[in-house]
Amino acid sequence: MPTVIKFENVRKSFGSLAAVDGISFSAEAGETVALLGPSGCGKTTTLRLIAGFDEPDAGMIEIGGETVLGKRPYERNVGLLFQHYALFPHMSVGENIAYGLKQRSFPKADIAARVTEMLRLVQLNGLADRRPRQLSGGQQQRVALARVLATKPKLVLLDEPLSALDAKLREELGAELKHILTSVGSTTLVVTHDQDEAMSLADRIIVMNRGRIDQQGSPAQIYAHPATRFVAGFVGRSNWLDGTLKLGKGSFATILCAGAVLSATAQGIADDTPVTLGIRPERITLAAADDTAPAIGANQFDGKVVQARYMGAEIHYQIGSALGPLMVVEPSTRAKPFDTGTRVRVSFCAEDCLVFPGNSNGA
Amino acid sequence: MTKHLADDLIRLACKVMNCLVVAFLLAPILVTALMAFDARDYLGPLPPPGFSLRWLSAFFLDSYFLQGLATSVELALSTTAISLFVGVATAYALDRAQFRGKEQLVSFFLSPLVVPPVVIGFALLLFLSQVGVVNGFARLLCGHVIITVPYTIRATLASMSQIDRSYTEAALVLGATERRAFWGVTLPLARAGILSGAIFAFAVSMDDVAVSIMLTDAHTYTLPIALISSMRANFDLTIAAASLMLMGLTVLLILILEKFVGLNRAIGEGAFR
Repeated sequence: MPTVIKFENVRKSFGSLAAVDGISFSAEAGETVALLGPSGCGKTTTLRLIAGFDEPDAGMIEIGGETVLGKRPYERNVGLLFQHYALFPHMSVGENIAYGLKQRSFPKADIAARVTEMLRLVQLNGLADRRPRQLSGGQQQRVALARVLATKPKLVLLDEPLSALDAKLREELGAELKHILTSVGSTTLVVTHDQDEAMSLADRIIVMNRGRIDQQGSPAQIYAHPATRFVAGFVGRSNWLDGTLKLGKGSFATILCAGAVLSATAQGIADDTPVTLGIRPERITLAAADDTAPAIGANQFDGKVVQARYMGAEIHYQIGSALGPLMVVEPSTRAKPFDTGTRVRVSFCAEDCLVFPGNSNGA
Repeated sequence: MTKHLADDLIRLACKVMNCLVVAFLLAPILVTALMAFDARDYLGPLPPPGFSLRWLSAFFLDSYFLQGLATSVELALSTTAISLFVGVATAYALDRAQFRGKEQLVSFFLSPLVVPPVVIGFALLLFLSQVGVVNGFARLLCGHVIITVPYTIRATLASMSQIDRSYTEAALVLGATERRAFWGVTLPLARAGILSGAIFAFAVSMDDVAVSIMLTDAHTYTLPIALISSMRANFDLTIAAASLMLMGLTVLLILILEKFVGLNRAIGEGAFR
C-alpha cells in the first residue's frame, strides 16, 4: 500500500506556543486514521497544515509521495469536510458540488454527470436545485461530503464530522459516512476530540496531547493498552486509584493501595515508587456477597451498592469499597440486578489494571 | 389595582410620545408635498385652496434646476462607483489582514463621520487650489468620495466580517485561487453590505450641501446647491417641487434597499453616524 500522507518531525508554533511539537505519522491508501485529542492538542493545526492554510515551521509533509511545503491549498488536491460544512449559501446543492470540478477545469459535460453521480452516492437524488438552508443538518453534511468527494481528492480530511449533529443522527450518519468512504476507497484523516467518533470511523487512532503524539494504534489497542496515563484517561472511563508499587516481578507487581494489597501487571516501574492505577468500569465484576461460586480475578473486596442507574443496555453502579468509591458497568442482561444498599463482592483481574508511574496529584 | 393602572398609563404615554415623534418627523415632508402642488402664486396659509402641477412643470422647464439635477445624478453615480471600489477593497483588506493598529485604522477610515463635512469641504478647497485642481466636477467628486467612503467601507466591512472564514477556505481547498474565491464566494456573500453601502453613498452624495457648497463653482453645481441659491434670489414654490423630486428619489432607494437587503439590516450595517 502506498503512503498517502506522511508527516516527519513537523513543528508549528504560534508565538511562544508550540501547537504541533515535532510529530511524525503516516497513512496508507484506503486507510481511515483518526487524530484524537482534547482541544488545544494540536490536531486542528495538523489539519490546517495538511490543507495548506498554515505552513509548518520545520519538518516535512508529503501527500502522495510529493512534498507539499510551499504549496497553496488549491494546489494540493486534498478534500476537507468542514465541521459546519461551509456549504456556499448563495449556490444551490448542485452548484456547491460542481464548484470544485469547475475550479479544477473539468469538461462541462463531465461536471453534470459527476454531480448526478455524487448525489446518488449520498442518496440525495433530485435535490440538486435546493439551497443548502432548505436542507436538514444531516442532508447538509451529505452535500458537503459529495462536494468533497466530487474531485476525487487524494486525501479526505474530516473535521469533527459528527459533532454538529444530535446523538441519534450521529449514530446513523457515522455508519453511513464510513460506508461511503469505504465504497469510494478514500484515504481519510478524521480530526476529533470525541473518542466515539474516532473509534467508530477509524481503523487506526493517533492520540495527541500538547502538540505531541502519545500513542498510535487500533481502537482496541488504544483502549485496552493505553501507552500513557493521558491516553488511558482520555479514551474511555476508568476508576483511578493512587498507590505505591511495592514489588515488581517480571510483568507482575504488588501495589499497596488504600491499605489493601493489589496484584497488577506493570512493567518498567521501580519498586517503592508512587503509581496511579486505573481499572475500566466494565472490567470489574460484581457478585452477591453470599455467592459461593469462586470469583474471577486476583483482587477481591467487599463492597456495597451506593447507587444503581439503569441506562437501558447497561447498568451503572456506584460501589463503596475499601479501595474507595468504584464505578462499575454491567450489561443489563444479568438475571438479577443489584439494588441500592446490597452487599456485594467486587473483583478484577491483575491483567486489567492499568498502571502508570506517579500519583494523580503529582503527574 | 393602582399598580396596574400606573403601568397602563406609562404604556399609553409611550404610545402618545411615539405618535408625536412620528408626526414631528413627517410634518415638514407633508408640508413640502402640499406646497409643491399649491395652485397659488404666493406663499399663503395651509391648506392650499387648489392644487396644480405648475411648480412641477416649472421645475422641469427651469434649465438652472435641470442642470443641477443632471450634475447631481452624474456626480452621485460617479461617487458611488469610486466609493464602492475603494470601500470594498479597503474593507477586504481590513477584514483579512492581521496587523498591529488594525482597530485604530478602522476608526481612522470612519473618521470623516466625526469630522464636520464643512471642515472637510473647506480643507479640501484649500488643498485642491494648492495642487491646482480647478475643474469643478473633479473637486466635487473628491469631496463626495471622501464623505461617502466611510459608508461603503463600514457597510462592506460589517457584511464581510459576518462571513465565516471557512467559506473562503472551502473554496481554496476545492481548487479555487484566492482571486476566484474572492469573486465567487466572498463578494456574493457580502453583497447585502455592498449594496447598502452603494445606496447610502448615492443618497449622501445626492443630499450633500456642506461639502458641495465649498467646492462648487458657477458652472458646476448640484441640485441642493441650486435650491439654496435660488431660494436666496427669488423664493417661489419650484423649490418645493424640487424637494419633492429629491424625496421621491430617496423613497425609491429605500424601496430598492427593502427589496434586496431588508431595511433593518441595511440601516444596521450602514447608517449609524
